[in-house]
Amino acid sequence: MPYRPVLRSLALLLLWPAALAAAEKRPVTFSEDIAPLVFSNCAACHRPGQIGPFALTDYESVKRRAKLIAEVTEDRTMPPWHADPGVVAYSNDRSLTKEQIALFSDWLAAGTPEGDPAKTPVLPEIKDGWQMGPPDQIATMPEAFTVPAEGRDIYRKFTIPLNLDKDTWVKGIEFHPGDPRVVHHILYYLDTTGKAREMDAKDPKPGFGGMSQSNGEFRYIGGWDVGTQPVELPYGLRWFIPKGSDLVVQVHYHPIGKETTDQSSVGFHYSDEPTAKPWSIIPVPPHFGMMQGIDIPAGEKEHIEKASFTIPEDCTIFSVNAHAHYLGKRMEMSATFPDGSTRWLLKTSNWDFKWQEDYAFKDPIKLPAGTRLDVLMSYDNSAENPANPTKPPKRVIWGPSTTDEMGVITLSAIFETKEQKEATHQALRVYLANQMIDRLLEGSETVFGQVRGQIGAADQNKASKNLEAARAPLLALDFDKDSKLSSAERIPAIAYILQGAFIKNLGAIGFD
Amino acid sequence: MNESIAIFPLLTLFWWATQAGALAAGEAVANATLTRLAAVQPAEAHATMITPLADRGQKATVLFFLTTECSVGNGYAPEIARIVQEYQKRGVTCYGVYAHETAAAVTRHLKDYALPFSGVLDPKLQLARLTGATVTPEACILSPDSRVLYRGRIDDRAVKPGTVRAEPSVRDLRLSLDAVLAGKPVPQPVTRAIGCYLDLPAPEK
Ligand code: HEC
Repeated sequence: MPYRPVLRSLALLLLWPAALAAAEKRPVTFSEDIAPLVFSNCAACHRPGQIGPFALTDYESVKRRAKLIAEVTEDRTMPPWHADPGVVAYSNDRSLTKEQIALFSDWLAAGTPEGDPAKTPVLPEIKDGWQMGPPDQIATMPEAFTVPAEGRDIYRKFTIPLNLDKDTWVKGIEFHPGDPRVVHHILYYLDTTGKAREMDAKDPKPGFGGMSQSNGEFRYIGGWDVGTQPVELPYGLRWFIPKGSDLVVQVHYHPIGKETTDQSSVGFHYSDEPTAKPWSIIPVPPHFGMMQGIDIPAGEKEHIEKASFTIPEDCTIFSVNAHAHYLGKRMEMSATFPDGSTRWLLKTSNWDFKWQEDYAFKDPIKLPAGTRLDVLMSYDNSAENPANPTKPPKRVIWGPSTTDEMGVITLSAIFETKEQKEATHQALRVYLANQMIDRLLEGSETVFGQVRGQIGAADQNKASKNLEAARAPLLALDFDKDSKLSSAERIPAIAYILQGAFIKNLGAIGFD
Repeated sequence: MNESIAIFPLLTLFWWATQAGALAAGEAVANATLTRLAAVQPAEAHATMITPLADRGQKATVLFFLTTECSVGNGYAPEIARIVQEYQKRGVTCYGVYAHETAAAVTRHLKDYALPFSGVLDPKLQLARLTGATVTPEACILSPDSRVLYRGRIDDRAVKPGTVRAEPSVRDLRLSLDAVLAGKPVPQPVTRAIGCYLDLPAPEK
């Protein structure tokens, strides 16, 4: 019967598309499609006792909210992740692909079937307590802070003495929110000057106010945002904590409709080994954009600030984050390499002050000396911006309080030598000095107000009574009298500014 | 979307809920009360229409549709509490209506969020369907003769879940209550509430 196989393959051929269609037709089910997504992308926050307003940990809880879930995933409100999709590959990317997002609406359209419960994956367990194991030291806020039921988000700094009697290397820091429902993100600083204790003591409530440090007295050492699993620093890197440092934790609270109290803890994991390589941060523009001259007219829909910094030494970067206040909208950084090629490092078209994520590059990126970093930050000071904290909008300038603005995009960078790291820090100081010169020559009253009395070598005790007086030593260097400083004329001008109290007292511009 | 419900009579079920009398603020109506009344159909409600609220001398009643676990609704709790306190003095009675919750959870929620009214359980979503509420938080003003005078948002501060303005520019519920109390027509009887959805069964085709 020689025709048999022929027929059979013919039959197979005919059946083939039908079989395919049948496979595609399998309705989207909770157990096979939705649960794996929700358990790995949502449940870290949406589980009892976490920040998410409800648990998404089983069929019932997800099914009941299927319509809302389809909406918030479609418009990318959830999961919170603000880098534009598909531009840069990050290892901690928690956003969903288009196909994954479509599953939610398909499931809703199919009537939210459960499917075979036996196929539902096990909910990944997150053990209670310290995720990185028992810390070597636990630093707890000395007092509980009361978060009111409503109002704007609160940024509060708390000073916690660490009482270290020797310089210490740290390989991991884990934050333990006292009330996880209200804590959105954390920034860590170190203070070796005693200033934080003073400010804390002066403020009648626990901690003290302000969204970021107003000047460089505190040393920034990183942060954490909700939903991020705490891990050891990569590549054998370590933080350096000078002996006698106080920890300053800046906590971002989001009121939830009822008054609560928070007393959070920070767990430190020490290391006997020093850092494997020198590393630091490269903030562009440096110092939270203090010398940028940010001045946003009331009502302006898209105010753009740009900054470009050319790195003086080879380095390898492994993560990036952006910081602004309520009005921040677009936060972008690209690198232009010495060979002229360019690539994105961060592109967020809908940045959101509420979620200040740290984006870890999937693969570390080498930046050869001479690479230019271009930063664009935009601010929406219109009444239509729901995040605008003032109504009607008012003019906003640079400043540390919540209704001021600032802006910086920060890279974490590894160097081969200490000298390379130091040279990079110095280039950042020179960058700041150049920005100050430009603002003073432009006649920026706001920048003058911020640096008054600390401008240059001769400017002690508020010697420069007004902007004119502050500009005089700079204009004296304008030998060709074109009211600008050429690069040659700038050399003494920069030296003059670097001698001033402002730059000298900056403290660390990057990490120690 | 011309809202026919705007003149829908209030269901007997709600009459029972409010007439039960023993409702102290902060207490959830026992499930049983509503189950007993669940059989009452809207048509019957027409027939047996009663005006319990007028009997009680109330000028209006506000139903706040809520869920215990919605960030938008919970964020509104302080404003809801202020509205209740201010308008109660002016002859308005307010209730929190919860669909998918147990009496214990509702009682805890009222206490946690300092909501100064009684909770009404609506497990079969009858009140939701009668008034046309689909979202939490959503507010509904009822006249003494049980007509829906306003349904929608409390104010315009919520843009979408996760995006809420620091301050609203239009306080719709207050404006509507002021109109009702002044004997004037409600300027905007239906607005779109923003928040979490009530798990209503899909409309029959
Ligand atoms: C990093 C933590 C985090 C992750 C991850 C997360 N959520 Fe959320 N989710 C929140 C918080 C916090 C809110 C409350 C609104 C706000 O503060 O922005 C929220 C709100 C929501 C809401 C709106 C309801 C409300 O009450 O506001 C839905 C629906 C939701 N999340 C679904 C999801 C889904 C689905 C996923 C996964 C695909 C997810 N979330 C991932 C933290 C998270």
